[in-house]
Amino acid sequence: MKAIIAERLTKTYSGEKKALDNASFELSQGEVFGFLGPNGAGKTTSVKLLNGMISPSEGSCHVFGINPSSSPEKVHAISGVVTEHAQMYGNLTGQENLVFYGMLFGISKEESRKRALELLERLDLTAAKDKKLTTYSTGMRQRLSLARAMIHTPKILFLDEPTSGLDPESAQSVNNMIKELASDRGTTVFLCTHQLRYAQEVCSSYGLIDDGTLLAVGSLDALRCKLFSGLNVYIKATLFPEGISFRKTEGQLAEINVQTEEEIPPIVKRIVDAGGNVYSVSANKLSLEDIYFSLIEKRKERKEVKSL
Amino acid sequence: MNTMQSALISKDIRGITANKQLLIAMISVPIALTVVIPSIFIMLLHFMPDFSDFETMLRLLPVDVQPDNMKAAVISLLINNIMPVFFIIIPIMAASIMAASSFVGEKEKRTLETLLYCPLSLKQIFRAKILSSFIMSELVSVLSFIIMTLVTQIEIFLTTGSLLLPNISWLVVLLLLSPAVSLISITLIVRGSAKAQTMEESQQRSALLVLPVIFLVAGQFVGIVLINIWILLGLGALLAVIAWFLMNGSFQKISYESMLR
Repeated sequence: MKAIIAERLTKTYSGEKKALDNASFELSQGEVFGFLGPNGAGKTTSVKLLNGMISPSEGSCHVFGINPSSSPEKVHAISGVVTEHAQMYGNLTGQENLVFYGMLFGISKEESRKRALELLERLDLTAAKDKKLTTYSTGMRQRLSLARAMIHTPKILFLDEPTSGLDPESAQSVNNMIKELASDRGTTVFLCTHQLRYAQEVCSSYGLIDDGTLLAVGSLDALRCKLFSGLNVYIKATLFPEGISFRKTEGQLAEINVQTEEEIPPIVKRIVDAGGNVYSVSANKLSLEDIYFSLIEKRKERKEVKSL
Repeated sequence: MNTMQSALISKDIRGITANKQLLIAMISVPIALTVVIPSIFIMLLHFMPDFSDFETMLRLLPVDVQPDNMKAAVISLLINNIMPVFFIIIPIMAASIMAASSFVGEKEKRTLETLLYCPLSLKQIFRAKILSSFIMSELVSVLSFIIMTLVTQIEIFLTTGSLLLPNISWLVVLLLLSPAVSLISITLIVRGSAKAQTMEESQQRSALLVLPVIFLVAGQFVGIVLINIWILLGLGALLAVIAWFLMNGSFQKISYESMLR
C-alpha cells in the first residue's frame, strides 16, 4: 500500500490565490520524501491537507488508504506531525508533556513514561526531562517536538523544518534518527524544508515546489535525467585549445558539460598537448540545489513567455 | 468517555489547580458570595432590635409565620429562597474562568494545533473541554455549598439556639438546575472560545452570560419570588434538555480549518 497518494491536490484559501495548485505525487512506505521549496511555497498547506486540518478545494489525497478529509482522526492515529505552530505546554516538564501526548494517543501512563524516557535519552534531553518547557532553548523544544511526534511510533512522520534552530551536532543526530526510522522501522517521512543541502543528506526522493506548483517529483537521479544527466567538469588551466566549448565560472574555472567520465581524460590531454598547464580537475553531478534553481529558472522563463 | 479524553480532562484541571491566581479567583468569589452575605444577614437579624419591616414583608408572603418565630422565618427565606440563586451564578462564574481559556488559551499558547493532531475527533475534544470545565465548576459549587452550610448553621445555632437546615429545593438546585445552567454556559463559552482569537475577547463574551442571572439575584432582593418545587424541577429538566441539545448540536459547523484560522 502506498503511504501517500495525492491526486491533483489544490487548495485555495478564501479570496486568495492558490496555495497549492494541482499537485500529484505518491510516496511508498519507508521512503524519506523531501518536500522542498521556499517559505510560502505551499509545504505547510500540503501537510495540513494530508492531515485533514484543511480540506482540498479540488483533488484528493490518501494516507495509507485513509482519506484525511473524511477521517482525520484515523490519519492522526498513524501519523506524527512536527510544525512550528504545533507547540507543547510551557507549564509542564519535558517528560510530563511527552506522557500527556502519549496518553492522548491512547497509550497507558506507564507505557507513555517508558517511551518518553527512551525518546528523551535518544534526543539527548534526559538532563532536562524534569525542567519546565519554558526553560528549554529553541533547539531543545524542537527536539522535544520530535520526541512528541514519535511517542506513538507512527507509520508516517510529517516534519516541517525539523532542524531549524538546531546546532549542527543536534541537526546531525536528528538526521541520523530520521534515516534510522526509515531504514529500521519502515517509517515513512514527509520532510518539508528549504535547506536543500540538508535534504540531499537524508531524503530518498524529492518533490520540488514553488509558489504552490509542484515543479518535479522523483529520486535525485530521476530529477537529474529531467535536466541533465551528465557531469559538470571544472578545470583550472592556463589555456583552452579551440574546439573545447566551456563557460567561465566565478572562481576562474572553466565549466565543461560531459555525458560520461570517459570524456574527461581526452579533454585534459588536449589542453596539455596544446601547451597548457592543468592545475585542477573536478567532476560533479548536478546537485539538488542546481536542479532546484534550474527548474525555478525554467518556470520563470515559461511565465515570461506566456505573459508576452 | 475514553482514556484519551480523560487525559485531556485531567491535564486541563491540573492546569487550573496549578495556577494559584486562577484557583484563588475561582474559589474566593463564590465563598465570599455564599458565606459573607448570609453571615452579614444573620448577624444583622441577631442584633436588630425591631422586626416590624420584616413583619410587613412576611405578611405579604404565603408563609406561615408565628410571631415568636420571626427570626427563623426570615433566616429560612434567606437560606432557602435567596441563596439558591447564587448557586446558579457560581457555576457560570467558575466555568467562565476555565472554559473561556479552553480553546483560546490553547491558541495563545500555540498548543491547539498539536492537540488537533491527536486521534480524537473534534466532537470528542469539545466534550472533553466541556467536561473539564463542568467538573471544576461543580466542585466549586459543592465546596461553596458545604462551606456555606457549615458556617451558616453554626451562626444560626449560635444566634437562635437551633439549626435551620436547607430544604428540599436545594437538592433540585444543586443536582439539576445548577449543573444544567453550568453545562449550557460552558457549552456556549467553549464554542465562543473556539472562535475567539484572544482570551480577553472570550472572557468578554462569557461575561454576558452572567447578566440574566444578576437580574434574577437583584429580583430576589427587591421582592422575593417564591418558586414551587415542581416548577423548579420542571425548569431544571427543561434546562437539562437544552444543555444536552447544545452539547450535541452546537459543534456541527466547527471544523479544524475554522478553529485554526
